Amino acid sequence: MFQRILVANRGEIALRVIRACRDLGVEVAVVYSEADRGAPYLALADQAVCIGPGPAAESYLKIDRIIAAAEIANAQAIHPGYGFLSENAHFAHICRECKIEFIGPPEEAMGAIGNKDRAKQVAKKAKVPTVPGSDGLITSDEDALKFAHQVGYPVLIKAAAGGGGRGMRPARNDNSLISGLAAARQEAEAAFKDGSVFLEKYLEQPRHIEVQLLGDKHGNVVHLYERDCSLQRRHQKLVEESPAPNLPEKVRDAICDAAVRLAKAAGYYSAGTCEFLVDKDNNFYFIEVNARIQVEHPVTELVTGVDLIKEQIRVAAGEKLRFKQKDIVQRGAAIECRINAEDPTKDFRPSAGTITKWQPPGGQGVRLDTHVVPGYRVPPNYDSMVAKLLVYQPTRAEAIATMRRALREFVVEGIATTIPIHQEIMNTAEFSNGTVDTTFIERTLLRAPGK
Amino acid sequence: MSTDNPAGSPRPFDAKMVEYLVGLMAQHDLSEIDLHEGEHRIRLRRGQPAPALVPAGYPVVAPPAAQPAAPTAAAAPAAAPAAEPAKARPGLVEIKSPMVGTFYSKPAPDKPDYVSVGARVKPDTVVCKVEAMKIFNDLTADCTGTVAEVCVKNGQPVDFGTVLFRVEPS
Repeated sequence: MFQRILVANRGEIALRVIRACRDLGVEVAVVYSEADRGAPYLALADQAVCIGPGPAAESYLKIDRIIAAAEIANAQAIHPGYGFLSENAHFAHICRECKIEFIGPPEEAMGAIGNKDRAKQVAKKAKVPTVPGSDGLITSDEDALKFAHQVGYPVLIKAAAGGGGRGMRPARNDNSLISGLAAARQEAEAAFKDGSVFLEKYLEQPRHIEVQLLGDKHGNVVHLYERDCSLQRRHQKLVEESPAPNLPEKVRDAICDAAVRLAKAAGYYSAGTCEFLVDKDNNFYFIEVNARIQVEHPVTELVTGVDLIKEQIRVAAGEKLRFKQKDIVQRGAAIECRINAEDPTKDFRPSAGTITKWQPPGGQGVRLDTHVVPGYRVPPNYDSMVAKLLVYQPTRAEAIATMRRALREFVVEGIATTIPIHQEIMNTAEFSNGTVDTTFIERTLLRAPGK
Repeated sequence: MSTDNPAGSPRPFDAKMVEYLVGLMAQHDLSEIDLHEGEHRIRLRRGQPAPALVPAGYPVVAPPAAQPAAPTAAAAPAAAPAAEPAKARPGLVEIKSPMVGTFYSKPAPDKPDYVSVGARVKPDTVVCKVEAMKIFNDLTADCTGTVAEVCVKNGQPVDFGTVLFRVEPS
């Protein structure tokens, strides 16, 4: 086991990793930018190292400073959290060169599935169904039209280097396809430095079902069942839950087995998530792999009892998985609401500032993952998530009741938050019935924003 | 390390003892001590009560335990001062580290320091090296004046932004 780990991230995930290290009895150091100086979670580590000014490009994305921080902190391993450098194969490579363990998947697997087009090819090899798509990249308008006429409109233009919901635009006819292609190439070049695009069939009102994976360096891979993340706004997740409501047992098993097949085909280890879209007839299609621990990982922790961060650390230290697939049991129901410092009444505009009142919920079945304390100043440089509010109960109906209660208990002043929108979601019949899809938020709730 | 007692056997609420303890704390850069003698107890804490950070590389010094009522020195990392431990005189220019790494005040172990207090510097004067990933970077003063303070020790790890020198501009 490592003597000391460096956490190369910030906010709630940095705190999450610090806690896991403490639980394992491993020393932990953490980096911070000048915008995060004085943040209370830093004092919970054994050492904190300043790596640059506020902007992420000058701090949390600075590979050389992070490696140097690991050196001066005498850390044998780096946990990259999520976002930032967590899926940067080059960073993983540098860690290896510097004999520092990167707590995550091997760079080869990252390369195999990091690019969406290559990921689809791995999926095909593993006999995992994918969304009907162009065979490789689209290089001419003729090919685009041919494909669209073959699978039928609507189609989706996707940037090969995109991810996290970015770099996608639908097209419903020949004209919008041609003009959409030109625009998509331009945007992709600007955003991802890679203008290559491919096409897929556009699934209408699908559900987003993802499978949590965990593998060790000895070739063992297990799944920890699924999460339903259909509630999204502009492709950013708002609510996640497990198990996925109204998903037939057979379909669940098929999706989870497919995810494990894919992970094995890619030589994957550590934690990761395999994302699928599920249509109204419960056909599922692989879309991408997130080769990192994810924001919503606690949902799975609650229904399986497995501490995913501790397991990531154990796997990175070379240990074999301590459980087989049959040992993973999904029990009860868990729901997570991402609480962001955004104003739902002003088109979710970020609300940076000082939190003057912070009264978090608690009690049976409530878990709050947050780095925020009263008086905390939300820096403007990073994403706006301030807390993850989770509930866990024996049944989904009870979990919803507890989430309603917890949202009501949660008092935040000084910044606007998305608590009101979550309260609305928890009060809809569609959510209670488990009939939401990825278009639900934008179709229904955002007609009349806020209260 | 001097641990001489004040005259007699001092009790925790003896003003001289408190004075002595405060001096001891400053001398050894302690942030908190907690002494018990029988049913008497004194606890002193120095610095900010709110949690702050141990600047990377600052050694936490434990004092010699020589008293019969052995002082329990808890150098709590949480209470160390946050950004600049030394009081900055107004008007001094700070040379801060632009990188994370190990500070070296001299070009080689057997050579003299690049600069010391009183040295005159110009913008292109090399004042130190910082090493990271086996690569040594010469840092220049980027200002004109006289070195007033050397704030870090040879071989000490430094963060981005750690104050290395203070210079009296001229």
